[in-house]
Amino acid sequence: MGPAFLFEVEELRVSRRLLASADLVQGELQRFDDALALTRSELLAMAGQIGGLIEGRQLIDTHVLLVDDPVLKSDVRRRIKDELLGAESAVSEVLHEVIERFEGMKDPYMRERSEDVRAVGRRVLNKLLGTEREALGRLDAPMVIVARELDPSVTAGLNREQALGFATDIGGSTSHTSILARSLGIPAVVALKDFAGQVRPGQTVIVDGLHGRVILDPDADQIHYYEELRKRYSETHAAIALNAEEPATTADGHAVELSANIEFSQEAESVRRYGGRGVGLFRTEFVHLLSPDSDDEETQFVAYSHALKVLAPDPVIIRTLDLGGDKLFPSPEFHERNPFLGYRAIRISLERPELFRHQLRAVLRASAEGNARLLIPMVTEVSQVLETRSILSEIMDELRSSGTAFDNSIQLGIMVETPATCLAIDLFVPHVDFVSLGTNDLTQYTLAVDRGSPLVAHLFDPLHPAVLRQIDMVVKGCHPAGKWVGICGQMAADPVAVPLLLGLGVNELSVPVSVIPDIKQMIRVMDMPSARRLAAESLLLASGREVRELLRRAIADRFPGILLNGNG
Amino acid sequence: MVQQTVTVPNRLGIHARPAALIVKRASSFRSEVTICSGGEEVNAKSIMGVMTLAAGQGTDLIVSASGPDEERAVQEICELVSSGFGED
Repeated sequence: MGPAFLFEVEELRVSRRLLASADLVQGELQRFDDALALTRSELLAMAGQIGGLIEGRQLIDTHVLLVDDPVLKSDVRRRIKDELLGAESAVSEVLHEVIERFEGMKDPYMRERSEDVRAVGRRVLNKLLGTEREALGRLDAPMVIVARELDPSVTAGLNREQALGFATDIGGSTSHTSILARSLGIPAVVALKDFAGQVRPGQTVIVDGLHGRVILDPDADQIHYYEELRKRYSETHAAIALNAEEPATTADGHAVELSANIEFSQEAESVRRYGGRGVGLFRTEFVHLLSPDSDDEETQFVAYSHALKVLAPDPVIIRTLDLGGDKLFPSPEFHERNPFLGYRAIRISLERPELFRHQLRAVLRASAEGNARLLIPMVTEVSQVLETRSILSEIMDELRSSGTAFDNSIQLGIMVETPATCLAIDLFVPHVDFVSLGTNDLTQYTLAVDRGSPLVAHLFDPLHPAVLRQIDMVVKGCHPAGKWVGICGQMAADPVAVPLLLGLGVNELSVPVSVIPDIKQMIRVMDMPSARRLAAESLLLASGREVRELLRRAIADRFPGILLNGNG
Repeated sequence: MVQQTVTVPNRLGIHARPAALIVKRASSFRSEVTICSGGEEVNAKSIMGVMTLAAGQGTDLIVSASGPDEERAVQEICELVSSGFGED
């Protein structure tokens, strides 16, 4: 609960303001020039932050050229001078004409350039309209962030201490906003369709993540109710965190690897505090996005070594860049109709060996500081694993000849997140040391459901029999060869799914830091024979809904005391 | 004024990146530079203008410049276009 912080509301239309007299023209022209200059330096600063990502920089390049465009500039100036329009009104009118022109174009790629114009236009208007719409980095008091949509390129600069919660119009339970909120342990409600448009900056907003509800301008009763709820919630959480010292072992003594998903190296400190053992998924997109481009390898090396040192001797599994899909638009040149089926993750890495080598070198050098493991995302071909191995051994040779220390026997694993790797798991097993199930993508690719689309989000179900059978296949393919199976998808963070996953034979669960205590509590009360029975029974059911009911019932019957809030 | 015609050779045509390259190059000259395609003439220093030409592969562009460095401006921009912008 807190005052709303509106992030880039999608509205370019402003009221048409006429200047009271021609004397004001000079001042308005100056305001316009200042806004352009500010926008320009903001864009250049962003280009610095995006670092080595050439495509991202080209996008910003186009944006800078739009700011500098002499034709647009003189069009706006003419309207201020001749029509006595206020600067923001003049900008808004020109923007609308330009956007219309783009949207009327035949080529769908060019039509989408209207998005660039919108993005730049919003920035310029933000400057002209003053403090109402601000960037997340300038969040300097505790606030609720309200936006159409948040993506990694904007949340990278988020002042994390001050974010009380997120409310966004777009997104699903596995979209970036939700994942970030979970890792920060703050409430989020997404897929609100049209909330951001109704909120004024500073209005009080309650984000109720437990029930998926937002309240705008709550009355005294509601405020009282939610203050109580928040207190109870943090007390419960504090109590659970007491199990941090306990091992993640089932009631009948079966040890489970319970580790954390992190995005920033600084999160390593909290992993232990919450009772996790190492990191099962270190997402490296943020580390990369925040690197100054000249020294990408160095920035990454510092981040990885920090996490490794803090957590040693526990393992830290570093996933190589998973760009593309919903994580940063990788190619403004070539518009992909289905980015999730397109240029992403290992497909990009192998085509840009320079970027990939930087990262592998950074990981290898850091591996001298602790227990590092490598994980490659979106693998569908055995050759991708072999190619990665051969690049790795080349880098190892380089490091050896320069006398740099590294872990010679670093484990290499693959993300299993497509039906291709599940159905043909036997082809991959000989070439990997472990696998990690990415159930968000696996579910999306198996069920052909875009997890970000509110229209079909209800069909997204990791408990769908088709997904469970694939998990079963993967475990049965890996265990005989002595390879272990982890899971780092959202599914592992769902307490209800824990007995099922362990019953299927999964060895490691990697979850957001803030839910480690809940998951550990679940592990500690269950036993393997009943988990295996539950898994066997689940595999025979006809729908995800039936599986969920079976699991809920079993847990409620056997462990009536267990907490099932928040993640169910 | 100097004028020269050049054909767009690359498969994707003048999309965002080539447009940016043209505008940056044109902006480095003091002359006024225009590009004309299909009867529409745009300022070559305007990213909006160059992008809205939407010139696909095989399109003929008429590059004109007038000013102190008109000769070099036309020559360099035509070279840039006919190089295919380092694509294909």
